[in-house]
Amino acid sequence: MAKVIVAHGEILSKNGDINIARLKNIVIKSLRSLFDNLALKEVLLQIFPRPGKVGVKINTIAGKKLSTRPEVALTLSQILAENHPGLSRIIIWDRTNRELKKAGYRLQQRGKIQVFGTDTKGVGYESKLTMTTNIGSLFSHIQSKFIHHSLSLAILKDHGLAGVTAGLKNYFGAIHNPNKYHDQNCDPFVAELCTTPPIKAKHRLTIIDALLVQFHRGPSYHPRWASRENKLIFSLDPVAADHVGWQIIDQLRRRAGLPSLAEENRPPRYLHTAEALGLGHTSTNMEILEVEG
Amino acid sequence: MKRREFLKATPCLALFGPRALPEICRDLDALEIPPQLSKVEARYYQKLPDKEIECQLCPRQCRLGNKERGYCGVRENSEGTYYTLVYGKACSVHVDPIEKKPFFHFYPGQITLSLATAGCNVNCKFCQNWEISQVRPEQVHHFDFPPRMVVDTAKKYDCPIIAYTYTEPVVFYEYMVDTAKLGRRAGLKSVVVTGGHINPEPLEELISVVEAIKVDLKSFTQDFYDQYVRGKLQPVLEAIKKIAASPIWLEIVYLVIPTLNDSVKEIKNLSRWIKAEVGPDVPLHFSRFHPMYLLRNLPPTPISTLERAHQIAREEGLNYVYIGNVPGHQAESTYCPRCGTLLIKRWGFEVSKINLKDGKCPQCQTPIPGIWD
Ligand code: SF4
Repeated sequence: MAKVIVAHGEILSKNGDINIARLKNIVIKSLRSLFDNLALKEVLLQIFPRPGKVGVKINTIAGKKLSTRPEVALTLSQILAENHPGLSRIIIWDRTNRELKKAGYRLQQRGKIQVFGTDTKGVGYESKLTMTTNIGSLFSHIQSKFIHHSLSLAILKDHGLAGVTAGLKNYFGAIHNPNKYHDQNCDPFVAELCTTPPIKAKHRLTIIDALLVQFHRGPSYHPRWASRENKLIFSLDPVAADHVGWQIIDQLRRRAGLPSLAEENRPPRYLHTAEALGLGHTSTNMEILEVEG
Repeated sequence: MKRREFLKATPCLALFGPRALPEICRDLDALEIPPQLSKVEARYYQKLPDKEIECQLCPRQCRLGNKERGYCGVRENSEGTYYTLVYGKACSVHVDPIEKKPFFHFYPGQITLSLATAGCNVNCKFCQNWEISQVRPEQVHHFDFPPRMVVDTAKKYDCPIIAYTYTEPVVFYEYMVDTAKLGRRAGLKSVVVTGGHINPEPLEELISVVEAIKVDLKSFTQDFYDQYVRGKLQPVLEAIKKIAASPIWLEIVYLVIPTLNDSVKEIKNLSRWIKAEVGPDVPLHFSRFHPMYLLRNLPPTPISTLERAHQIAREEGLNYVYIGNVPGHQAESTYCPRCGTLLIKRWGFEVSKINLKDGKCPQCQTPIPGIWD
């Protein structure tokens, strides 16, 4: 049974500031809740049983307003670094340094916690294609070579084509040609991509930043349809996490008098494909726990 | 320098040294490509509310929010204005014989200045140039090569023709059209090598500025286009008809892939359609497939399959049918459809003999369609 933690607390203030202490508290509480309140160090050993480097794949495509917040990525990385001695490096990363900087990240290639994009000198993409059934892609060396464990730290958004962009679709940023994966509402492409070895063998945890949720006209930022939800979603099951994200978006749409994604003929069908491919669970077999902080 | 000597001295000349060669940022040292992309407003798109746009250049009609790129990866919406990122940003520039495109009835024996930018609006599983066509412009080495420089370079190297080729020129439409216009003013011709995925209105403008278009018709079934091209067949057929009805020159290439698009029925249907809708005189090239990109599990096309396709097309009444990618095959050469006289002798991309008199067969005086002088 998939367990999904939906954490809620006043983390993002109206003026856009992040309450770091509360954020840290909520992240720790949520991680522990995934394992019935086991001690944090034990939890991290369960998630990352072997030592190695961790990649924290964030989404910075939409600029400062609607990207995975630096405070969330850095707080999480600090928690990992301080509580799991076997994690030698934590790399917060996305496609380009330009996008990272625009989203408010400071690039850092030294130390235990690093921040850089695939276009950094010495990084780049594989030269050998990784095939899905339908498309072939070159993986970022960060995903394929630099890391042993992967964490999708996505942002929750409505997406004009895919319906929802969250943890699974976040991995589009790990390949050189995401533009080729947008046909047919991204189905089966999101799911197929996540079955490839560089992702499937390394993915450990999904965390979705739903502090501010773009519930309509995504994936770009439109303040009119962005809601300060102050939620974070955690799950070891990447499909279940995204499914809960979808429900949040549909709830917000209903509240705003908008048709549901299914009514607009763009539900994230790729989640069912992902379930069929054994990546996780959708609505059935799911336990949702709320955590307040 | 004669064309032959030139080609001998510079086979497939890369004009700008190693950086001109397609080279994806693949290894540890190769990166740090400065993302100096162009920001030239795209043509053929519509602005929509909430900073969205709809691209109307090709049948995909990508509808995109702010900061998103189209399927081709080289056009980007920035705050509700659509931009081409590859205007004047060539990633591959070579001097090629016109036969390499291939054009067989258009200035045979001439050389072309051939260029491409990154990007493509389909994703053929058998693409020969996927390392430049299936990448974003910032992932491939490119350099500034604005239209004026293209024209000057063509003149410097005695290339009377500029060819837009290698990837999919439709996605660098603005760059191509402006270069072709400038080239025409300087007395240069322009030819386009395309998959034909273009909407009628931009195609009309393109036809008005270039002298010839070669269309790669990938198959004659939508099923194949769905599975192996990720595009639509019908708009390609419409584009072919439009070009055929225009004053510019048209040739068609059909890459024959074993078991996938080589059935007798498909080749017959294709040949009948061409004869009925385009006419019997359009050159049709059956080209040999080699395992490539995502289609590596199939063997190269047997020569016998190509010969069978050739025979079917001839029996269906097409007058100029060729076999390509088989150097030395007799069906590389042009024969008079009436009396069988050898008119143009080719070996690979080399033309060794042109036996036309005022565009006619010297033997029986049959006019041979094409642009000859
Ligand atoms: S040219 Fe590119 S952006 Fe425009 S519709 Fe075609 S694929 Fe989409």
